Amino acid sequence: MHMTQLDQAFAALADPTRRGIVVHLARGEASVSELVGRFSLTQPTISSHLKVLESAGLISRRKEAQLRPCKLVPERLKAVTDWLEQVQEIWEGNYKRLDVLLAELKRHEKQERKK
Amino acid sequence: MKPAEASLPSDTEVLVKRSFAAPAKLVWRAYMEPDLMRRWCSGQPGWSMPVCEMDMRVGGRYRWRWRSDENGQEFGFMGEVLEVVLHARIVHTQIFDPGDLGVSMGGEPSIVTVTFQEAGGITNVATSIKYASKADRDAAFSTGMTDGMETSYKLLDDVLAEG
Repeated sequence: MHMTQLDQAFAALADPTRRGIVVHLARGEASVSELVGRFSLTQPTISSHLKVLESAGLISRRKEAQLRPCKLVPERLKAVTDWLEQVQEIWEGNYKRLDVLLAELKRHEKQERKK
Repeated sequence: MKPAEASLPSDTEVLVKRSFAAPAKLVWRAYMEPDLMRRWCSGQPGWSMPVCEMDMRVGGRYRWRWRSDENGQEFGFMGEVLEVVLHARIVHTQIFDPGDLGVSMGGEPSIVTVTFQEAGGITNVATSIKYASKADRDAAFSTGMTDGMETSYKLLDDVLAEG
């Protein structure tokens, strides 16, 4: 995925309501009115959240059906989670090496004290 | 120890927390002494840290550089130390040195604050990276291999936790 698209997806997911919508849609398609009921928000608010998710490519909306139900685009979400996992690996990889180093420094200190 | 936890406290800031099973003065050494730093801060597998120069006194400078084993590409960070509180807190500037990766992270230095808090033999380390602007933070996000990035995997945790 192109980085600007990834940025867009991150920005879209930075909002708790939009994350809630994504989680809800992970269980299956839903119409705007269903989402309005589920989140106790006004229809224009839900619609504007959906617009952000749609332009980030995280959801798609069926054009032919009258209710235009919303559907998750799992590939896009997976691209985001894959990237996050990769990032976490780098950070946590460093920290795990630090754990090992600290254990070694602690042992050294103990030995020094015994001398 | 629980894996690193990241959050975005503001538009221009990234905060990463992690605890370590060692007293603060040992964790401090691992952050301040180049020979120790190099052993753990070497980045992901396939990368080495050929340059790790550090003069961690107020006004001192540091330079870190990583190199890919595969194709020899390099990038790094450098900056100046602004504040030092022994075993407790270090503040320094950070400028991204894109080397030959051909990416930009914005020209303005960011401010990195690392705090060390010891309780019962455990040291909690909090790293705050404050970017000069939201644009710089977003650029850091897109770079793929840098300090600014480890941040948003928290989003994934949130998504999964709510599900």
